[in-house]
Amino acid sequence: MNHERAQEINGTGPAPPTPAFAAQISHGDVRELRGPLLVAGGIDGVGWDEFATIDMDGGEQRHGLVLEVDRDLATLQVLETTDGMSLEGIRIRFEGRPLHVEVGTEWLGRVCNGRGEPLDGGPPVTGSATLPVSGWPLNPVYREPPQEPVLTGISVIDGLTTLVRGQKLPIFSVPGLPHLTLATQIAAQAASSGRSFRVVFAAMGLTHADIAYVRDRLESRSAGGELVLLLNAADDPVIERILTPRIALTIAEHLAYTEEYDVLVIMSDMTSYAEAVREVSAARREIPARRAYPGYLYSDLATLYERCGRVKGHDGSVTIIPVLTMPGGDITHPVPDLTGYITEGQIVLSPEIAARGIYPPVDVLSSLSRLMRNGAGKDRTREDHLDVAAQVLAAMARARQATELAELIGEAALSETDRSYIKYQTLVENGVFNQGRDEIRSIEDTLGRAWTALAALPEQELNMVSTAFLENYLPQRNHRS
Amino acid sequence: MTGLAPESDAALQPVRMALRAAAEKQAAELQDEARRNANALVEAARAEAAAILSAAAQEGESAARSEAALSLARARREAHELVLAQRNSLRMELHRRVREAAAGLKSDPRYAKLMARLTEQCRELLGRDAVVSESPEGGVVAEAGSRRLDLSLHVLAGITVESAPGARALWTR
Repeated sequence: MNHERAQEINGTGPAPPTPAFAAQISHGDVRELRGPLLVAGGIDGVGWDEFATIDMDGGEQRHGLVLEVDRDLATLQVLETTDGMSLEGIRIRFEGRPLHVEVGTEWLGRVCNGRGEPLDGGPPVTGSATLPVSGWPLNPVYREPPQEPVLTGISVIDGLTTLVRGQKLPIFSVPGLPHLTLATQIAAQAASSGRSFRVVFAAMGLTHADIAYVRDRLESRSAGGELVLLLNAADDPVIERILTPRIALTIAEHLAYTEEYDVLVIMSDMTSYAEAVREVSAARREIPARRAYPGYLYSDLATLYERCGRVKGHDGSVTIIPVLTMPGGDITHPVPDLTGYITEGQIVLSPEIAARGIYPPVDVLSSLSRLMRNGAGKDRTREDHLDVAAQVLAAMARARQATELAELIGEAALSETDRSYIKYQTLVENGVFNQGRDEIRSIEDTLGRAWTALAALPEQELNMVSTAFLENYLPQRNHRS
Repeated sequence: MTGLAPESDAALQPVRMALRAAAEKQAAELQDEARRNANALVEAARAEAAAILSAAAQEGESAARSEAALSLARARREAHELVLAQRNSLRMELHRRVREAAAGLKSDPRYAKLMARLTEQCRELLGRDAVVSESPEGGVVAEAGSRRLDLSLHVLAGITVESAPGARALWTR
């Protein structure tokens, strides 16, 4: 080592790396500490969004982002807050660029915090390339429409709201429902047929108990080198939460477009993320918009959600499932509302269905996958899939009417057909939608169960499926006719 | 109370017989029904017991399976964390050795030349009027107003290890 180093300084070796030296320049002129903000003076050549390392007297290091530059003053958001800092004894080193992460397959199997630093006791994750976490805007003409299904092994999702490679499909839930269990089950089970599949799970603002559950549940996928886990706990720095989904997506984009994997990014909980955005916005004294969220919440969410997709000339894809909790079940709350504008459908969980003991408690009549047609049907899942899904949903709508009617006039007064719809609803909820928390069902199994439930209806009611499919798939058809 | 006429006894005999037969029949029917009910109850109880037993066995099996999966997952995680911790200690060791080796440069005959070049770098980055002094650990520290550039040998060692392209292969292989 001595020898090599000696050669370098001999005058004949390469010149020392000046940019790396420039990033070592530290600034000690700290003018103000205010909540999570630090104002530094005498600054020159520092840009917005630049990442900085803050060295404290005792050797502790913190990190910051430049929020604002005004002449020679720079305002930094300290990720770990300014608690315990004093104006003296702080030195700030600006990195000369926004936060970058090293990306590569070494992330697979690792567990890191919301800033990408290891929590598993291992060395820092290194990679083959270094990319800015904010990502590059993708030329729209390079995009390819989402195609082919991502099968989750969960009947109600695969059957009725099929997830498609490259799609963004949020889960809308309310606090107290098993949305995290569902998201974790999807992360544990999801696969795309015949392709190598990887999952990036970005946890934001989760409790430690929830984090322990997620880690245990996804352990086998993690041990198999198919999972990247980024964990921002509820008591972690709030600003870190703003970086977590961006780091997750940067890693995912590299895995998808360079390593050619199909990548599923699960982001839970986006409401916690939006609250972090609101907190930063308030600290920056920006003008608040709806419910004190900043006016740019829509474009901020879009910069995350729109990083999914498929790109021409690359095999991989990035599929995103954001999980949102709607405070008070309010679907008009800014976070679900703005998310709904950007995403391609939604999976809505309902407390009423959860109260009936059905897991996952998906309200199928409010749920929709707008791109399902690109991922289901012949050569993708099964020829009868789209027809069966349409029939199951239509019958559920009719069953809901029949149930409401029965509440008014009593079930005995209903027609034979209406009674069959009520029977069908019980069958479909218990036989198709209700599923074990670690149960994987194939698409054949799911569709078979759907046909069994549909068989409870009179055959003339099955008017959304072709006669050929009835012939092939309807159980006991000969016996019935 | 007056008894019946003696001849009525014979006349009532068929009625008595009929009543008795009806009562016996009814008793037999009741007995049969009771037996049937008892049998059915016993059957139902047996079936329920069997169902409870099989449900309990199933529940126990699935609980045991998830418990086993959980402990397997935890054991696997612990093993993986051991490997990672080992890698990290290798990395720390590399850092330590490089820092030691860098400190040794102070006694290298070309140290003066290195100092001159580092000083030049400092002036280039902080301006001509920067005050450059030798760091106690070797290397230089330059100051210009509130700005400071620390190019001590251990800092340079750190930069070199982090930027060395082949270094991470030492602990990720």
